[in-house]
Amino acid sequence: MLETEQKPPNNRASRRDFLRGSGLAAATTVLTGRATAAIEEARAQDSEVQVLSGEIPLKLNVNGEEKATVAEPRSTLLDTLRNRLDVTGPKRVCDRASCGACTVIVEGETVYSCTTLAVSCQGKAIETIESFDTGPNGVPYAFHQNDGLMCGYCTPGFVTSCKALLDQNKNPTLEEIQRGLDGNICRCGTYGGVFKAALAAAKTMKGA
Amino acid sequence: MNAFEYAGPTSPELAVKAIGRSGAAFLSGGTDLLNRMKDYVATPSRVVYINDIKPLAGVHASGGAMSIGAATKLAAIVHDKTIEAHLPALHRATAEVGTPQLRHMATIGGNLLQRPRCWYYRNGFGLLGMKDGKSLVRTGDNRYHAIFLTDGDALFVNPSSIAAPLIALGAEATLLGPKGERTIAVEKLYQVPKSAADSELTIAADELLTKVTIPRIRGKNATYEIRQKRAYDWPIVLASAALELDGSKVTSAKIILAGVAPIPWRSEEAEAAIVGKELTTESAEAAGAAAVSKAKPLSMNAYKVTLAKVAVKRALLTIAGKKYWEEA
Repeated sequence: MLETEQKPPNNRASRRDFLRGSGLAAATTVLTGRATAAIEEARAQDSEVQVLSGEIPLKLNVNGEEKATVAEPRSTLLDTLRNRLDVTGPKRVCDRASCGACTVIVEGETVYSCTTLAVSCQGKAIETIESFDTGPNGVPYAFHQNDGLMCGYCTPGFVTSCKALLDQNKNPTLEEIQRGLDGNICRCGTYGGVFKAALAAAKTMKGA
Repeated sequence: MNAFEYAGPTSPELAVKAIGRSGAAFLSGGTDLLNRMKDYVATPSRVVYINDIKPLAGVHASGGAMSIGAATKLAAIVHDKTIEAHLPALHRATAEVGTPQLRHMATIGGNLLQRPRCWYYRNGFGLLGMKDGKSLVRTGDNRYHAIFLTDGDALFVNPSSIAAPLIALGAEATLLGPKGERTIAVEKLYQVPKSAADSELTIAADELLTKVTIPRIRGKNATYEIRQKRAYDWPIVLASAALELDGSKVTSAKIILAGVAPIPWRSEEAEAAIVGKELTTESAEAAGAAAVSKAKPLSMNAYKVTLAKVAVKRALLTIAGKKYWEEA
């Protein structure tokens, strides 16, 4: 995030590239066979209510960009972002709306993307940590400067909640920050650093 | 999670049409249903998403009564200034639910109709938590289970912290089914299941909760909840009280507890103890004691009896403006 990601040498694939490549190959196989029929079925009408099933085409507005993919109705927003659209900032940790690592902003409000269906997010503005300002006026920089992380797995969720909080409340008290970040858990216990980072980010954003 | 068909209807009527078959479920915020589906405790073959149905969301005041659409997000209730000013019992209980993310997702209808959080139920042992004809709850870890109605087989507790203030405030629920609309008192949404095949909810599978309506409130109301953690937790016990007062004398009272029984628990004993009395620390204490006079805790939850007593007392003293526990 803050440092430039180390690029593997050109002739070698990274682990993520490899997984992505093999996943795409599999997806293509499915698309040519079963999914085309499923998409037809998805368009079928059930009296006046459209009923979708099987692999369905989805359009999601992620960080201001219209992205198209194919997924089943049971696919969560988190899994669709990570596995289909390569938006890997939101993390899959508890997968039960209990930890906050998957937090994204939908229509201006933070939600747990692990417990939200992607199909229900069509036509809504989805913001993830990928879109945040990483410069010295941004929330990620404040986390870096204030030791707001240890293992880092909860960090994208905390940064997202913090950004959403500061968008709504430019001048939060420590108590408001604590309550605003209620929905995120850090197993390493870096809460002190997180709260300091949030206060610092509020200060810089006001000055900016 | 199993695969399912998905429908996103645009009106309550179409939602009821889309649900009209067995094995279908309404999906609102998803914070309960999707997690039960991931654990295969719920396996609907069709999911009908109702949160984008505009007429189902919003807080409307008319003639002193207030109606709240079933798909109104909890965050919208917390931000409503009229609710904050006149219905502090509801406001407080809603503001304490879950986390900011959950309050942006969860709706009042979903909160009222969420299924119990009993860990035996959530792990596939059914509502009564039975295995080989024996109650796992009674012999196992029942620290968060009921302290009332414990002679029966249903030992889970009703999970809604919003039902208690709504019942104390005399709220009604409007249900839309294939044969039309009906309105019932919020407490009538719940029943004590007699067998493993029963539900704790009275609403039919093809009925949609469309709104709750709170009548004009004449008196004062408050909620006090006791929880283990300040953040991200359910109340262990919650008490909501709605009183009508003549000066400081209580002329009528409705006191509802959450977290103590398989249904939201109306404490007629506590109500009888406070009606006709001046609202003082002593009378509030006596009402708390009366509230738990008939409690029968399980093997691991006698501590809840004390919590229920204190929650009733503090809800009453919140109304009296005597929050001694917040003083230094």
